[in-house]
Amino acid sequence: MKKIITLLLTLFISLSAKESEETPYTLGEGLQVASLPLYLGGYFSLDYKRKPNEEKYEIEDFAILGYGSYEKISYITELEFKKLYVNANKNEERSVEQDTALHVERLYSTYNVNENYDLGVGKYNSPIGYWNLIPVNVLRDTSSIPITSFIIFPQYTTGVNASYNSYTDNDFRIDVMLQKNSDIDPKYNNYEINEHYGIGFTYAKNNFSLKFNAGVFQIVDYYNEDDEFNGKEHDGGDGDGDEDDIDKDFETLTSSKHYYALLSAKYDSDSFQVMGEIGSQRSKDDFITKYAGYVQSVYRFDEKHMAILRAESYDNQVSKIAENMAIVGYTYRPIYPIAIKTEYQFHSISNNDTLLLSFSMMF
Amino acid sequence: MTTNFIKFFLLCSVLCNFSYADEYVIVANKNMKELSLGEIKAIFLKKISFTNDIKVIPINLSSRDAVRSKFEQQILKMNLIKLKSYWTKQHYLGRRPPITMKSQEAIKTFVKKVDGAIGYMNVNTVDDSVKILYKWSDE
Repeated sequence: MKKIITLLLTLFISLSAKESEETPYTLGEGLQVASLPLYLGGYFSLDYKRKPNEEKYEIEDFAILGYGSYEKISYITELEFKKLYVNANKNEERSVEQDTALHVERLYSTYNVNENYDLGVGKYNSPIGYWNLIPVNVLRDTSSIPITSFIIFPQYTTGVNASYNSYTDNDFRIDVMLQKNSDIDPKYNNYEINEHYGIGFTYAKNNFSLKFNAGVFQIVDYYNEDDEFNGKEHDGGDGDGDEDDIDKDFETLTSSKHYYALLSAKYDSDSFQVMGEIGSQRSKDDFITKYAGYVQSVYRFDEKHMAILRAESYDNQVSKIAENMAIVGYTYRPIYPIAIKTEYQFHSISNNDTLLLSFSMMF
Repeated sequence: MTTNFIKFFLLCSVLCNFSYADEYVIVANKNMKELSLGEIKAIFLKKISFTNDIKVIPINLSSRDAVRSKFEQQILKMNLIKLKSYWTKQHYLGRRPPITMKSQEAIKTFVKKVDGAIGYMNVNTVDDSVKILYKWSDE
């Protein structure tokens, strides 16, 4: 494990030194490997969480990115240590976990057919909603992600992705996702799936955009607390990494196909942004998640300071949990690729109120 | 006499204002097809990388150049904060910002010589060696 990190850091530092002789390095934009069509970068996050009976420190999302393009083909890979170090104190019991498995978060290549059409293959972020496109702490508004973004649809798809974009004054975009195989790294997804067919429509005009996604997927397995991987994305509670918030009914979850729909809207001006999403997931027989939605507003005081207010609500029929919450957050960016965030979550279910602090960086 | 002077003064003021309304152009290599404003914006945001099977090469002026600032505000409709946020997110998605050149003359020379090159400059810099795709003014 130490060897891997040392190797990656040595590689990055040596490349930085080489690069600095030629072009200035800008934090958050990666650097080119010699004169090859390959750029390297990455990101990490240090998190602190406190709930009434729990306190946790963690090094999370330590990832290395490699990408580039040659003629009409572009490629990207993202390898990540999901929970590199977790030091938790729950009900007066202290535990230390180290997940040193290197996960494949993304690995795909895209062929640019022409100015309007792209065709991709591999493992990619499902282009659903707004949050799922940029699932990295340093790039998000808050440390946590809305529950809507991880209980309605599969966050990653391994298969084919086709997209059309009009690039007119009023942008119109269509995304198609197709998967009929297993995941490249099944441990790195909110659901382990072997089928996913989805479509998305996005309309954007000036500062406003509207998006609708719908699809169907088949679950092979759903991770629980016995699994080696305890990702935050599927905790179904406060979005902070707990695996124990949903009492999963595996029979229900894996017995049939899951259908989902998500409607998203966003208004983004120079100083403020308002966005909202609402979605639902069901099997043929019944709702699994009746609804999950949020409304969020972001106010940018200036380049470095922003305040966030988010209201969330969901009703999950499997876990029998219906919860409302309000999240108040503040983010300070001394420079854009570095974010120092704090947020407080008020939950309608007692003992779930949570304080989150994080320091994250993209390099 | 006084009235005539005032009229003359006002006329001069109006004319001066007209003459200070700077005009800018987006130019490309002569082989470039006509592009809509939406396509131009998408090229500078690196969403479009090929057009008519020719690789497009958008060129920015230096980050503190006043013409670049006007281009970003009036054509891309994005301020500095949004652009910083945009390019950091694009790094995650595997896209690089456009290359930069120090002067409008350098951009004109590059655009003239390289298929697919596209840049912007003050209208006073442009000549018939490049193709004008779009023109806008401060007003």
